[in-house]
Formats: sequence, C-alpha cells, structure tokens
Amino acid sequence: MSIVIDTEKCLNCGICVENCPGDILYQEELRIAVKYPEECWFCGSCKVGCPQDCISIVFPLEVII
Amino acid sequence: MTDKFAREADVAVESDILVIGGGAAGNMAALFAAKEGAKVNLVDKGGIFRSGCGAAGNDHFLAVLETGPDWDTKEAFLKWYNQLTQGMVNPQIVENGYLRNIKFLVNYLEDLGIPMKLDKTKDDYIRTQSFGQPGPYFINFDGKKLNPTIAKEARKEGVHFYKHTAITNLLVKDEQVCGAVGFNFKTGTFYVFKAKAVILATGGACRLYENTTGLAFNTWQSPFNNGAAQAAAFKIGARLANMEVIGFTLVPKNFSAAGLNALVGMGGHLVNALGERIAFKYHPQGEKGPRWALPWAVYWETKEGRGPCYFDLRHLSPEDLHYLKYHLLTVDKVSFIDYLHQKEIDLAKDLLEMQLIEGELPAMAGQVHGIVIDEHFQTDIPGLFAAGGCALAVGSMAGSMCCGKTAGEEAAAFSKGVDGILETDDEIIAGFKEEIYRPLKIKNGIDYRRIEGKMKKIMSSYVGIGRNEKGLVTALESLAKLEKYLAKIQAGNGHELLRCSELKDLLVIAQVIARGALIREESRFGLSHYRGDFPESRETWHKLILQKKTGRETETAFLPIYH
Repeated sequence: MSIVIDTEKCLNCGICVENCPGDILYQEELRIAVKYPEECWFCGSCKVGCPQDCISIVFPLEVII
Repeated sequence: MTDKFAREADVAVESDILVIGGGAAGNMAALFAAKEGAKVNLVDKGGIFRSGCGAAGNDHFLAVLETGPDWDTKEAFLKWYNQLTQGMVNPQIVENGYLRNIKFLVNYLEDLGIPMKLDKTKDDYIRTQSFGQPGPYFINFDGKKLNPTIAKEARKEGVHFYKHTAITNLLVKDEQVCGAVGFNFKTGTFYVFKAKAVILATGGACRLYENTTGLAFNTWQSPFNNGAAQAAAFKIGARLANMEVIGFTLVPKNFSAAGLNALVGMGGHLVNALGERIAFKYHPQGEKGPRWALPWAVYWETKEGRGPCYFDLRHLSPEDLHYLKYHLLTVDKVSFIDYLHQKEIDLAKDLLEMQLIEGELPAMAGQVHGIVIDEHFQTDIPGLFAAGGCALAVGSMAGSMCCGKTAGEEAAAFSKGVDGILETDDEIIAGFKEEIYRPLKIKNGIDYRRIEGKMKKIMSSYVGIGRNEKGLVTALESLAKLEKYLAKIQAGNGHELLRCSELKDLLVIAQVIARGALIREESRFGLSHYRGDFPESRETWHKLILQKKTGRETETAFLPIYH
C-alpha cells in the first residue's frame, strides 16, 4: 500500500507518472501501475497534480500502527 | 528488461551551462542563467515539474524583509546565521547568495501568483519564529505550486529540460569542468552533456542509515536525494566540508514527514511520557531553540526511561489548530492530514508521538556540510558551481532558491569568458559508460539492495549517534570491503540501474562521513556529531574539516571559522 488510484475515475492521463519524483508509477495500456510501492516517499506529488482527484495515499501498517 | 532498453544511440548535447538537479536551487539557477543570455540545459532524475525536497510543496519561507524591527535586518540575520552554524558558513556567501536576493525573490514569487500573504484580512504576511531566530523570519506561505511555477518560467526562458536522467560523472579537461555524463533510466540512452560551466544543485543525501520507521524510503527529506553532486564533485578533486555533521530532526511516529518547524512555530510543547515539558531542560530557548537541540532532548529523555515523547498541541485555539493542519502541515507534506486521519489522531484531544529520524545530510537552514564554494558559488574546480543542499551555503527552500539564482548568474558570467567547450577524451567517456551499464550485464551477481542494506547497517552501528574511534575505524574498514562488491551488483531494468547508480554515490558519501567523524575528536551540534570518547565541544576543533580526494588517497585540511 501507498498510492491507491480510483480506477473508476482515472483517465490514465499519466500526469502522476510524470510528477512522481521516485519512478514509482508506470503508465500501462489500460491503467497506472504502482510498480514500486515500497519506495514511495508519501510526498503526494502524484495526488496534488491529479486532474481527476482520484489518488489517495493509504499508509501501510508499518506507519499507522 | 525490455528489448528496447539501452538500444538507442548515444546522445551528445551542448550548452553554455548545464544545471544538474531541478529542485529549488536548480530551477532558479537555470532560469537566471538563461535570463543572462546563456543557453542552458537542465537535467534531473524526476519529471520536469515536481522534483527535489519541495516537489509537492513547502510552507515556510526564510525571509529578511527589512520592515523596521532590529531583527528584520541583514546585520541581525548574519549574526543569527553565524551563531546557528557556529561560524562554519562564509558570511560573504550568505550575503551574495541569500541576502542580496531574498526581498526580490519574495516579490517575484508573489508576482508569479504564489500565495505569500496568508493573512487575507490585512493582506499581509504571517511570520513565525523558530530554531533560535531573533525574530519571526519564517513567512508562512502556500508553496504547493512553487516548483512547477519556477520550472515553467525556466522553460519560457528557453531552458531545455532532460528528465528521468541520472548524472554519474563530471567531465574534466585541463583541470576545468566541461560537462557531465549520465543515462535516462526510462529509455536507457547514454547522454554526454558538454558545457562551458556546470552547476551542481542536487540537494542532500538520505538513505545512508537504517530507517527508524522500518521503511527504507520513508525518510525526512527526499529519499531520492543520494548525494549525487557531492560524490561527483569529490571524485574530481573538489573539497567537501564537515560531512560528519549529519542532521537529525523529530518526525511523527513512523512517518518521516517534515513539520517540526510548523509544530514549534505555532507554539507546540514537547513533552515526555510523564507529561513534563522537556525542551527547556536542554536549551534555554526551549522549543524555539536550534533544530538540533530538540532531537537531543528526545534522545536523552528516551535513554533515561522517560520516553516516548510527544508534541502537545491541545492548548492551541481551534483557529490555530486549523491553521496548523490545513495551512502549514498539509502544505509542507500533503499526506500529513491522511496520516492523522488514518492513525486516528485528533490534535485537539490527542498527543502526537514523535521520534528521531535516523540521520541524513539534509538541505536545511543552518546546515554546515556540503561542497566547498567561494563567494561566487564556484567550487575548487574552475567552471564547476554549486548551490542548494549539496553546497555549503544557505540551505532551506528560500536559501536554496536565492543561492541558485546567484549561482546561475555567476556561472553565466563565467561562461561568457570561455571561448569554446573543451572535449574530454573519448576513452574516459567510454569508461564511464561501461561502468554505468555494467549491472545490466552481470549474471548471478548480487542484489544491490543487499549492499545498500549492509551499508546502512554499518553506518547505523558505528557512524550514528554515539561515535568513537574504535567503531569509526571498524566502519571505514567495513565500508571499504563493501565497496568491492559494487563490481558485482546487478540490475534487471532501468529502475534498478538507477538505484545501483545511487548506491555507488551513497557509498562514497558514507565513507566521507565516517572519515570526518573519525578526524573530528570532539562533539558538536548535539546528536549530529556525538563522540563518546570526546563528549564535549573543544575549542581546538572549532573549525571546518575539509576532505579532498587525490588519486586513491583522501587528504584532510582545516579552515578556521568565520567571525
């Protein structure tokens, strides 16, 4: 867990992939893949730039417990 | 690995100036070099609009505005900054980089539409005081769009961006810098950037120690800051200063977010498990003391059995709490509010548990580590300039932006005096290329994560808090052995190749930190350099330690402090 994308709303525009400073997100043919969730900084660059407001940061249990 | 990766022909590009790093300092350096008429290329590991520590935002802008009060003057700032850095930063750099630009920059950002005046009723700045300042130097602002705004300005000014590209080596000819090489980790393409001058602007170095939250990339400052500029400069003989003085801060439990400045600036109280306020026990300014004093307090309270420690914000008014949550913490780290929500913390009712980070070389106000530069922001190597968290100048978002501007202007002036671009020998470039792509060719090699993990283990065991001679010698021996394994690390794709490249830099930096820590036979800046065998600060060691590579050896030199 780290970046969760609402696939109902996502248009697969790829802005989040472009904005991610860590090469965590990848644009695939039909969706955005969170390929390296364990390397996420939780910075939210993906979220603040999303035109569909469909990205959530969901913290892993290591953070919230 | 896809078949297409690293199959394209090498690309060579030329410009007057190459800027390495597209965060606070790099974007400003590129923009203002271009305004001076220079042709500028900017290269960054990230995309174009969100890079560096402030990728998603920033909430505090260190500013001297000369509005009247004694503290709001250049003289008062210089005095405070000299105290904060214990004389380790050249005041001429503070003047030429920061003080010369700050008023201009605040107005410039307002003109570009960055909300600087959060007090809407009076159309004025909201300013808060922290970290031992003589007055409220921090403008609270909404910097969510700061990075993309400056990047857009730079693009309008003609700066050409190279994204997703990591720089590995600087190019030198006749003892002058003439470019850099690197690779695009998305396509695999090898790049040769040729330039009359190069500006390093890549920030600090994280991922050096075992992460206290247990998640390797859950660092205070950007985990993608890996000391690339410091390592590249060091490899060609530039001096690095005070690298043993690592940075600590306090972060919410298991979440290494920025936010300490906001918590103390708004009047939060640091308390131990018994509910006692602890900051005044360790520094006369309490929570408003220098940043290093707060981790120092939490460390000793915990050691002596009075941890965990917390921030108590329950005495703040509902308005102040709302302001803290929605105008500061969330602007600095957009996921802060998600953390509070998902961890079910209500700051009006609950204490916020805090913990120490593991130690980083951060880009921040008061940093004393970095690449040595002169007052023109030039390093020891002609043609090589540096600004931002990688350089020994003025850190912080505002400091890095101001210093980036000066570095850009100085490098542009320098490049005008250079007739043509020098050419590095082809075989040297071919050697760098071979080294970059080697992990893709290794079969049955070693997972780079194991080497990075081992490096962190060594650093945390011997080069963290509570250092001594025996441990530091052990660390240096172990790191030297570990370095030999770099020849065997393997990567299966461009992403892994990037991490391999970062690891090589981190190992260079780790050894410089350990060596500096061994040399400095005293303790200074709280936990940042605490030697169990020399637990006090010593006047004979109140000086800068400089390290420089000559051939295979590392030389040490000293500089007196600045008064």
